[in-house]
Amino acid sequence: MNELITYLVSGVALGSSFALIGSGFVVVHRVTRVVNFAQGSLAIIGSMLSSSLLARHLPHVAGEAVAVALSGLVGLVVGFVAIGKRGTHPLNSLIITLGLSFLAAAVVILVWGQDPVSPPGLSGHTRLFGAEVEQQRLLVLGLTLLAFAGLAVFFSRTYLGKALTASASNPYAARLVGIDVRRMGLLAFAISGVLGGLAGVLIAPSNALSFYSDLPLALSGFAAAVFGGLVSPLRTLAGGLGLGVAGELTAGYLNGSYQTEVALLLMLVIMIARSSSFVPEEAK
Amino acid sequence: MIRNRPRALAILVAAVAACVAPLLLSDLTFFVQTVQAAIVVTGLALLMGYAGQASLGQGAFVAVGALTVAVGTTHWGLPPLLVLLLAPVVAAAFAAVVGIPLLRLQGHYLAFGTLALLLMVQTAMSSVDLLGGAYGISGIPAFGVGSWVAVGQLPYAYLALGCLGAVLLLSARIADSRFGRSMRALAGSETAAESAGVPVQRSKVAVFALSASYAGLAGAVGTFFTPYVSQDSFPATASFTYVIMAVVGGLGTMWGGVVGAVMVSALLQVLNTVSSQPGLPPTAAPIMQYATYGALLVLALLFMPRGIVPTLDSGLGRLRTRPQVGVRA
Repeated sequence: MNELITYLVSGVALGSSFALIGSGFVVVHRVTRVVNFAQGSLAIIGSMLSSSLLARHLPHVAGEAVAVALSGLVGLVVGFVAIGKRGTHPLNSLIITLGLSFLAAAVVILVWGQDPVSPPGLSGHTRLFGAEVEQQRLLVLGLTLLAFAGLAVFFSRTYLGKALTASASNPYAARLVGIDVRRMGLLAFAISGVLGGLAGVLIAPSNALSFYSDLPLALSGFAAAVFGGLVSPLRTLAGGLGLGVAGELTAGYLNGSYQTEVALLLMLVIMIARSSSFVPEEAK
Repeated sequence: MIRNRPRALAILVAAVAACVAPLLLSDLTFFVQTVQAAIVVTGLALLMGYAGQASLGQGAFVAVGALTVAVGTTHWGLPPLLVLLLAPVVAAAFAAVVGIPLLRLQGHYLAFGTLALLLMVQTAMSSVDLLGGAYGISGIPAFGVGSWVAVGQLPYAYLALGCLGAVLLLSARIADSRFGRSMRALAGSETAAESAGVPVQRSKVAVFALSASYAGLAGAVGTFFTPYVSQDSFPATASFTYVIMAVVGGLGTMWGGVVGAVMVSALLQVLNTVSSQPGLPPTAAPIMQYATYGALLVLALLFMPRGIVPTLDSGLGRLRTRPQVGVRA
């Protein structure tokens, strides 16, 4: 029983980082119909930046915050290349972001080397429902929930957020009422950079990240976003948490090396089961 | 006929060069790998260009072809020629089976779905003992027909070239067939194609299986050349490279795959040589490789979204028609 609770709690903590990366996919795809393959790279750049800044004696919180802000800037650059040229097909943009993730890997190796980096975070443990949990993982969960709440408020309560949603649901009508759809797309990329950077900053203290982690990060985030049909932040959160728990349960009761495969299989099943509802959206 | 003369000449020169090159090169590893990539990318360019479906996991089918050879020869003692012919069939069958559910996905979903497939094939290879397990499969016999057995690298270079020739011939035949036209209709608009009587789902599975059979054939040739197979033989990066080659060369063209594979391979080879110069740090090689991959993809898609071959074609076409326009004016 105690074991089960441990797996559930660590699964939820792991899943919240999937959800955070997934939210970056969702924000960009909602507005631009582009899937940003560089989402995993944004997380890695965020974690590398925070480790460098903290090593330069920037205090905690400030160091992480600057790293997250800089990741937002990188996200903006990614957006500029991916959708800056008019008439770029979303599938071409996907392959462009794949190219950008390669460039990001080159930069990361050039600046930070090939070894995994793990910036300092919270090191203590807390007992929760009788299970030992790293405090860092609880911090991830807490900040993820906060980020999702912030996104929900932003999209539904602010003018800018509503303009983003408008560009997402009907770009033509949005242009008619004076919304610059392209600028909204770039803003979405910047937000995804912030979310990706936040994910990287939060994940790296408990799981060291290297240039090589971009694919697993991007895949797990995409898998979470698939649960929300790449448009719903809330269902992405649920999907991420579900994937995290499923992965930890597999690792605990079956075999640790099948953890990713279970997540991928779930993703495929969800995608195929819901494929009929994806089609009209892709046709737009 | 006259319109195509420069193209026919270019193809002839390339074919002769490809046949002579193995006799002049001292080490044929690079040559065989390039031809192998060209076979895979020809199939991928068909899939992406004609059917409008992206695959980020083409390596999965290369792996299936390689495994057919490795398991067929070492476990069941099948003759090399039989497994070579069997490899594309097995790869196509595998693609047809997984393609039926997978190809209900489109665009981004299919791209990630095929990538997921590749990672699962890798896991299967590392955890099932028959497929190599932790150690991979070694001891694959040399290629041979009847009593003749291949010695050295040269036979494999011509084997690979022969396979590439067969694949190109088949592609040309298919592109001009009813099936080829229905595929092109599919890429344009699925709804329109369907209303014109194209069986959408079946055609997509068929072209997916066709591209997989090319990949399987390439995997088989590569396995005879490098007689060892493990899950590390088919990294995701290799599958991304196939996409880069297809995009750089030109989707939906006969020769795009070959041109893309040769150009990207040559570029990578040059970079390899440059980055292994003394005095450079050991990280120079991965940095250059990643930067080149990234820059190639981004620049190709932004400035030459149709690829080298179509861009060159229309450029030549413009050169030829310009004087005529002048006369008429």
